[in-house]
Amino acid sequence: MTTLQSLLHNVGSLLTYSPDEPMLFSGGLFWALFICFMPVYALLRSRRTQMIVFVIAFSLYFYYKSSGFFLLLLAATSIIDWHISRAIVRLKSRAGRRRMVALSVVVSLSVLCYFKYANFFLWNWNAMVEGNFQPLDIVLPVGISFYTFQSISYVVDVYRGSVKPADTWGEYLFFLSFFPALIAGPIVRANCFLPQIKENHHADHNEIFGGLWLIICGVVKKAVIADYIAQYNDLIFDNPGGYTGFESLMGIIGYTMQIYCDFSGYSDMAIGIALIMGFRLGINFDRPYRSKSLTEFWHRWHISLSTWLRDYVYIPLGGNRKGTARTYVNNFLTMLIGGLWHGAAWKFVFWGGMHGIGLAVNKLCRPYTSRLDGKKWFEISSLAATLVYVSLLWVFFRAQSFGDSVAIISNIFTSFAPESIVPFIKTRWLWCVLMAVIAASHIIPQRWLDEASSRFISSRWIVQLLIFIIAVQLVIEFAGEEVSPFIYYQF
Amino acid sequence: MTPRENGRKSSYTSLWLLLVAAFVIIFTLSCFDSTPSILGYSPKPSEMANSILRGNTHDEATSLCDDTDTDSVSGSPATVPVDTATQTLLFIGDSMLDGLSPRLAAYANASGHKLYSVTWYSSSSKAWAESGKLKEYIGRIKPTFVFICLGANELNIKDIRSKRKEFVAKIISDIDTIPYLWIGPPNWKKDTGINDLIAESAARGGYFKSDGMEFERRKDGAHPTAASAILWMDSVVRWMPEHSFHPIRFDTPDKRTGRPTKIFTHSPEEI
Repeated sequence: MTTLQSLLHNVGSLLTYSPDEPMLFSGGLFWALFICFMPVYALLRSRRTQMIVFVIAFSLYFYYKSSGFFLLLLAATSIIDWHISRAIVRLKSRAGRRRMVALSVVVSLSVLCYFKYANFFLWNWNAMVEGNFQPLDIVLPVGISFYTFQSISYVVDVYRGSVKPADTWGEYLFFLSFFPALIAGPIVRANCFLPQIKENHHADHNEIFGGLWLIICGVVKKAVIADYIAQYNDLIFDNPGGYTGFESLMGIIGYTMQIYCDFSGYSDMAIGIALIMGFRLGINFDRPYRSKSLTEFWHRWHISLSTWLRDYVYIPLGGNRKGTARTYVNNFLTMLIGGLWHGAAWKFVFWGGMHGIGLAVNKLCRPYTSRLDGKKWFEISSLAATLVYVSLLWVFFRAQSFGDSVAIISNIFTSFAPESIVPFIKTRWLWCVLMAVIAASHIIPQRWLDEASSRFISSRWIVQLLIFIIAVQLVIEFAGEEVSPFIYYQF
Repeated sequence: MTPRENGRKSSYTSLWLLLVAAFVIIFTLSCFDSTPSILGYSPKPSEMANSILRGNTHDEATSLCDDTDTDSVSGSPATVPVDTATQTLLFIGDSMLDGLSPRLAAYANASGHKLYSVTWYSSSSKAWAESGKLKEYIGRIKPTFVFICLGANELNIKDIRSKRKEFVAKIISDIDTIPYLWIGPPNWKKDTGINDLIAESAARGGYFKSDGMEFERRKDGAHPTAASAILWMDSVVRWMPEHSFHPIRFDTPDKRTGRPTKIFTHSPEEI
């Protein structure tokens, strides 16, 4: 094979679907493609229809690169739900409109359940009847949980009258397949996004370079910090009984920070890319480990999911309108569903259920604790208690089994081994430094972060270039030989 | 075109130029095996050029562990009787011990042996040979059998023979007359000769070749996962009775992993 042929072959391999190598925002391939995408997008920005077609084409290719021909499933979902939304508007009778909503929800959830939960249900069924379970050979389409939720909320909002249906299928497909948010969120709501397509807002200098700043922050969080600290955390979770209590404790704290950096880093990148294109996706993480209660935590953590669950599960269940006891039950059920959304395993159900119980306890205690609001000692203890509870639940979320989770947690009390503290710090000093950086990012005032963003935006071009190169070089320095998939990829 | 539109276009242009300039710089650096030093710091090149010019660099990496072992090992002296006495084991090496040591500890606990594990992160044969740490630990622990797992940080070294031969020999001479087994590195890429060098330097039946085995790797692409490392250690233990020059008794443990009698760790800064 000649050099040119070999080069073309390699480029072709890079550009075609490869299940082991999804296109990540922090990867070189996306960077190269985005360089090609941007000038065309900038040229077409004023020509709305052409811009929509171009972005859809890019988004579908982006999805194809990560999920292959499951992009047809995405397209089919958009066709079905767009037609249903049009039918809902046309139908006069309430019963007919309700049937349409039910049809859309059943179709969407059936597809989601087949791909995501079929093996889970079959496994449980077989366990009950003691059958010989053979898992179905099902590949989970990347991001199906995110775009299914987007599609459901769109149809329900059209039914409720809070959103006008998209004028064209193209507009709807643009919304559903918008590549920055396609594979790992945030879950974009039609009432926020569809008007932006119509408005055809052009990003200004602040938005374009504010978006770049968000991308840099996201890349550092995800590809530098999360991927690096994960290497140690994996050791602990892979071998729960093999480390001292102190090391296990560090593993738990490490995973708490890892999942935050991983997921919020990805969200930052997605929001930043969208902002460069002139679209506002809203904030998805608001320094969640500053929360002084579990309720506050869910106002700061994965905001697009928690508000979705509130609007389309909790409130339809009755919310807080049907008495105190029912409020707690609704909270609990909503969190159970939230847990199951994260993955098809009992550990996620347990994780969600425990959050539901925590929220109920939080609400139950609120009348008694509200008089202590404003007292420093109470705020610090509330913050610590919330952080401990959330961190312990992350153990169940991450560990392979319930037994592993218990082993890791009990290890802290049975074999703490304080003599391992100094060797740990000496051996894993960089890990400790990165943990301190994450903690500091939660402690410093928000205005400092805003100030950093403003300074970057108003910096000279060469300074911005230098900062960008430093961020990329940090990724290269810290990277392992294989790409670590986003934790939320599997959901 | 209004001045505002012009401003937007120029912002997009300056962002585009920034991304292109950064890409060109990073890509150019990735074309070199060793990058120029800037104030004493040599930036690590990315894999960009490799991916495009030479294809996927992971093709040579192996994956997925199976439990076949005898096809991929070296050293097969005439079978010697298994030493059934209780042993004091010393296991030294690099970060690969994170995976191997818990499984060896399970075997040691099941067999009544004592295991002392010394993990020196990022260490190499050079570091161990020059530091004198091995002699120090041997003097302190007085092991009756020594396991070594080194070489993973030396897969890339060019002209390995001239740079490492004396250090591999020094480690073996430090062990002196104590029976030993050197577990070769679990190659994730083709090495430049470290496995051959260890095989030549070690006594027959004193080297277990891990290269050629298949491993499930952790996210870093190098270290076997905990489950894979267990199978790796199992392979070593199964190999020993027939091939080691001094096989020792290992009973099958009930638990998958255990804790060594004592673990010592050293950081990369000590190199």
